Amino acid sequence: MPNNPTALTPYPVTITKIVDETSDVKTFTVEFDDPEVMENFGNKPGQVCMLSIFGEGESTISITSAPTRGKFLEFTVKRVGRLTNVMHQMEVGQKFGVRGPYGNWFPYEIMKGKDLFFVGGGFALAPIRSLIDYALSDQYRSDYGKVEVLYGARSVDDLCFKSDLAERWPKLHNTAIYTTIDRPEEAWKGHVGFVPSYVEEVAPSPENKFAIIAGPPIMIKFTLPVFAKLGFKDDQIITTLEMRMKCCLGKCGRCNIGSKFVCVDGPVFSLAQLKGMPQEY
Amino acid sequence: MEARVVNKGQLPELLDKLAKDYDLIAPVQEETVVLFRKISGAADAFLEYTNSDVSPKGCFLPQNEKTFNYTYTGDSIEINKPEGAQKAVLFGARPCDIKAITTLDPVFEGEKFGDEYYSGKRENTVIIGLSCTKVLSTCFCYAFEGGPCDGTGSDLLFTEIGDKYYVEVNTEKGKALADAYSQIFSSQGAEQLAKDKEELAKKLAGEFVRKVDLTGVKELLDNNFELPYWNGDDQKKCLGCGTCTYVCPTCHCFDIFDYPTGDFTGARLRCWDSCMYPEYTLMAGGHNPRPTRKERVRNRFMHKLKYHLDRYNMVGCVGCGRCVRKCPVNIDITKIINDLKEVAQNA
Repeated sequence: MPNNPTALTPYPVTITKIVDETSDVKTFTVEFDDPEVMENFGNKPGQVCMLSIFGEGESTISITSAPTRGKFLEFTVKRVGRLTNVMHQMEVGQKFGVRGPYGNWFPYEIMKGKDLFFVGGGFALAPIRSLIDYALSDQYRSDYGKVEVLYGARSVDDLCFKSDLAERWPKLHNTAIYTTIDRPEEAWKGHVGFVPSYVEEVAPSPENKFAIIAGPPIMIKFTLPVFAKLGFKDDQIITTLEMRMKCCLGKCGRCNIGSKFVCVDGPVFSLAQLKGMPQEY
Repeated sequence: MEARVVNKGQLPELLDKLAKDYDLIAPVQEETVVLFRKISGAADAFLEYTNSDVSPKGCFLPQNEKTFNYTYTGDSIEINKPEGAQKAVLFGARPCDIKAITTLDPVFEGEKFGDEYYSGKRENTVIIGLSCTKVLSTCFCYAFEGGPCDGTGSDLLFTEIGDKYYVEVNTEKGKALADAYSQIFSSQGAEQLAKDKEELAKKLAGEFVRKVDLTGVKELLDNNFELPYWNGDDQKKCLGCGTCTYVCPTCHCFDIFDYPTGDFTGARLRCWDSCMYPEYTLMAGGHNPRPTRKERVRNRFMHKLKYHLDRYNMVGCVGCGRCVRKCPVNIDITKIINDLKEVAQNA
């Protein structure tokens, strides 16, 4: 919505589904009360919204769902503070407010014709899941090559999107899913080890490929050198940043990295772009 | 450019009329603090000031502002916005503060996202500036292309000359106001007063005590985020009180939060915030990209001297000198500018 002067006003949504991802992460599926809002929403993979939990305020949450999946939005929310605590007590049928979509998006046009290698850690699979599902949609599947997802969490209990990882994505054409947990567990038959070393083991070739990485800072720190060693160039590596935000409109000031605002100029940056910015994130 | 003349003796009459026809916002003195408030007539105005303690930016970005009231029951949401802005006149703002408002415009009237609250007030307000007649020891507007008698951003600019005000008509909005009160705004003698104003501007330009030279500063900051300079004494002595950001006319950061009032109702408010507080950038998960005062002090000065320029091609400081006057530990942006200039020269 260009030059929208009423951008601070949220639209009411109704929760239609809640999935318990882990003991402290839930995915909320919501629909706008006014279907016209969804028609005009135009969210792209990688964008974020401001969620209004009335009485607590607002919080920036990435849109976990791809626009190709239907006329709804999904938000995956970890319980870390007051607002998210209230949100976690909400039930299907209840309402909250949403405004957006905000920020830039993954360069899915530039990525056409390429293979995509996704790396996610913890519940930070959420912001890149929108692009995974976009590239795997019936509509756009032929635009992209192989889609691989390497995902790690501390334990089996901490794995988010279990049905996507175990059932939905592996069944789709030309995909590979690699899941790992940090330490061995009795019932776990899959890979054990940290994300960076698993990436090294899987050793994706940089040829005709983009790597899309999201995770806690420590994971990103140790994963980037692995991709460099594998021969990935800085502009083949895409990540999405998190910052405290209040307006998401480039006005409230706090999410700046140098002269850039993560809310309007990001959250998606290539490693090449990040290297030209102050290391203050 | 058109000009008018107002007799000083008629100013109370003008203010009384304006207060009747508009929301009139003018400098007032409350105890020892000079600030801008809505007044009901000339008797409330305090015009014998050099510059106010609090800038008039609050006319457009109030310190606390309700963006809407809500009623939320869990399965129903009702949002009621406050009434739109009233027709208003901001009288008596100094040139530096008016220029500061023009630096806020691109922030709130962005290409992609506007701001109905800011723009509503901005569009409905006529800004009548008042030239300075004195220069304070902390003033340095000249360093940022400003001046004590500069009309940039004002609709009308009053300059006190003897027993008259020379009034420059800078916009159509200003002209409409002057024409509406034509019995007070006359044209007689404007030519001579124009010359007198030039003289006054020249005289005041020579009275600045503070020498501020920005040569090479932007270029230095463009290429150096990590300067050893930021580990210096000024950063260490900052108390993180946030005073500089509240009195700064170009600081625009705000917080948004809900204020529940019971019975499923509440208000969403936005209020001034400060980049000098650690909570400003602290994320719910515990990570803070600017964890110490060093990063926060650097960010504030980088914003004033580089970021705002990069983003909007406008200066982020207008040289009003408030932060210099009000800082409890004498952190002085003019010293920082001059220090950085030296760093640049020695690089």
